[in-house]
Amino acid sequence: MKLAADRILSLLLLGLAAFVAVQAWQLQVPFSYDPVGPKAFPLLLSGLLAVLAIVLFIRPGASGQWPTGALLLRLVFTMVVLGVYAALFINLGYLVTTALVSIVIAWLFGAVPVKAVVGGLLLAVGSYLLFTYGLGISLPTGSWIEPLLGSN
Amino acid sequence: MFDFLIQGFGVALTPLNLGLAFLGALLGTLFGALPGIGPINGIAILMPLAYTLGLPAESALILLAGIYTGSEYGGRMSSILLNVPGDAGAVMTTLDGHPLAKKGLAGPALGLSAVSSFIGATVAIIGLTLFAPLLAIIAVKFGPAEFFALMIFAFASMSAMMGKDPIKTLIGAVLGVLISTVGVDSGTGVLRFTFDMPELYDGIDFVVMIIGLFAVSEILLMLEHAFRHDQEGEMAPIGRVMVKMSEVLYCKWAILRSSVIGFVIGVLPGTGASVASAVAYTTEKRISDHDNSFGTGNMRGLAAPEAANNASAAGSFVPMLTLGIPGSGTTAILLGALMLYNINPGPMMFREQPVVVGGLIASLYIGNVMLLLLNLPLAGVFARVLQVPRWLLVPSVAILAFVGVYQLHSDLMAIYLMLIIGVFGYLLRKFGFSLAPVVLGFVLGGLMEENLRRALSISGGDTGILFQSNLSIGLWIAAALVVLVPMFAGKLKAKFLPAAKAS
Repeated sequence: MKLAADRILSLLLLGLAAFVAVQAWQLQVPFSYDPVGPKAFPLLLSGLLAVLAIVLFIRPGASGQWPTGALLLRLVFTMVVLGVYAALFINLGYLVTTALVSIVIAWLFGAVPVKAVVGGLLLAVGSYLLFTYGLGISLPTGSWIEPLLGSN
Repeated sequence: MFDFLIQGFGVALTPLNLGLAFLGALLGTLFGALPGIGPINGIAILMPLAYTLGLPAESALILLAGIYTGSEYGGRMSSILLNVPGDAGAVMTTLDGHPLAKKGLAGPALGLSAVSSFIGATVAIIGLTLFAPLLAIIAVKFGPAEFFALMIFAFASMSAMMGKDPIKTLIGAVLGVLISTVGVDSGTGVLRFTFDMPELYDGIDFVVMIIGLFAVSEILLMLEHAFRHDQEGEMAPIGRVMVKMSEVLYCKWAILRSSVIGFVIGVLPGTGASVASAVAYTTEKRISDHDNSFGTGNMRGLAAPEAANNASAAGSFVPMLTLGIPGSGTTAILLGALMLYNINPGPMMFREQPVVVGGLIASLYIGNVMLLLLNLPLAGVFARVLQVPRWLLVPSVAILAFVGVYQLHSDLMAIYLMLIIGVFGYLLRKFGFSLAPVVLGFVLGGLMEENLRRALSISGGDTGILFQSNLSIGLWIAAALVVLVPMFAGKLKAKFLPAAKAS
């Protein structure tokens, strides 16, 4: 039997339903006047999810087109870039990280390097000016730049 | 009875709110016109703006509603000019819109769709004005049990009407509700599904959820599209955007019929523009397609879905404003945005928040006129947006997502959470889920549990209370009917949707 994408999904959902049920069951409930309590609703949902997952297993739909090879690599790489963007956002500052990330994404989307660099720099500076002066949002300047500016 | 409207115009006509309605219409049209970004993505991406500007509730809602209706206008551009529908609601527009553009009638097609959209929206806003106060009177009779049954009805009608995959619609809704249970349980103070992470104690933040689900997953999907077929379709030349009076008159009945269809379907909780435009198109084809020219560039085939889709956008405000049940995925986002302002959606909202409700309805009238005035002469300018290269568009979406979440939380955890939700949203979309039920579940989940528990604490735990009043029994029956009838009339639905599959 070939395993359709929906079948795999259905097994994952069954797992999720079981996990939710176990987690909800273990909740320590203090005495209260609420006759339902915090357990019942998640338990109800996990039951419903399990039933729906079983129906999905019996009647799976078309599997669709899933990314493989080079495309999958690009997708993972994009998420890594965004993760690094998040990690450096505060310490390195908005301008530097945004410029770098914009250049990398532009390049991923097929811009030639010169265009990517110019576009990325313009995006970073333009959006910084718009956000700080236009909308009054304070964006992180970066911890490395503060000593240079002499502020503490 | 229409005091709320007079009061509303007082709110909507202040310079600030007029400006915001204009800004919303402009940004909405621009974002709706971006290839691949439909109304719901547009509003998800622009939502943080409302908080950034530090606006009061009614102003924020006016801005967001402007973006919503504006993006419905903008969405037609990529449908007509590129044959690329921005979202499911715009699929029907491509069927006759793009053939018209290929015939060299792109300008008149854009003009006609703007006029049809305007009429559709106007009919629906008038319907909203008349209908909402009546429904609000009934809504007062809603107790927790009825409210719970109403939400079940919303999910049922959504799964029946969303079309292709009712099981996945329900699974999506359940997943959304489950996500809403994360955090402190308001009834008992017990922590649920927080896994000892303090960041999750308050539950998953609405903005983080929406931006992750839509904007971040959109980045991944756009990458895939760019990778698979590098070149988008050729853009048809637009020419002069003017529609002749005779062309509008030729379509007048198509427009009026479709406006009513769109409004009624929009009012049904859980169903939105995609169903409305599909039903309007097939109805119109049956009534007025005598020479089999639908699909080859018939003006009526363009006018019908355009009128219906804007009418349903306005119609979906009816259940949202009177009952607190959003009529579509997009209004679910608007409702969630309201909840951030500590406005409790529900049957009492119409009475307790006349400024917000009236201001919103009045601004819909104003915004609609602005949109027509913007779109008729400037369609050619907006169409340039279609040529924005993806390599500039995608980093911009990423920047908006990051800044939006950062300025609300100044916290890295929120950004990481947004990225994780983004991957989750991407997987859901790859598995063929629509995100609207997930959002609806997420927004309604808390209310649903609260009302269930309130009902059961009134009855001391007896579930009989859920089926006691005539109103709740009626809602349960209606919920059962909308699920069961299409199952037996599956063939009927196959008739409604073949056109969508062919495109």
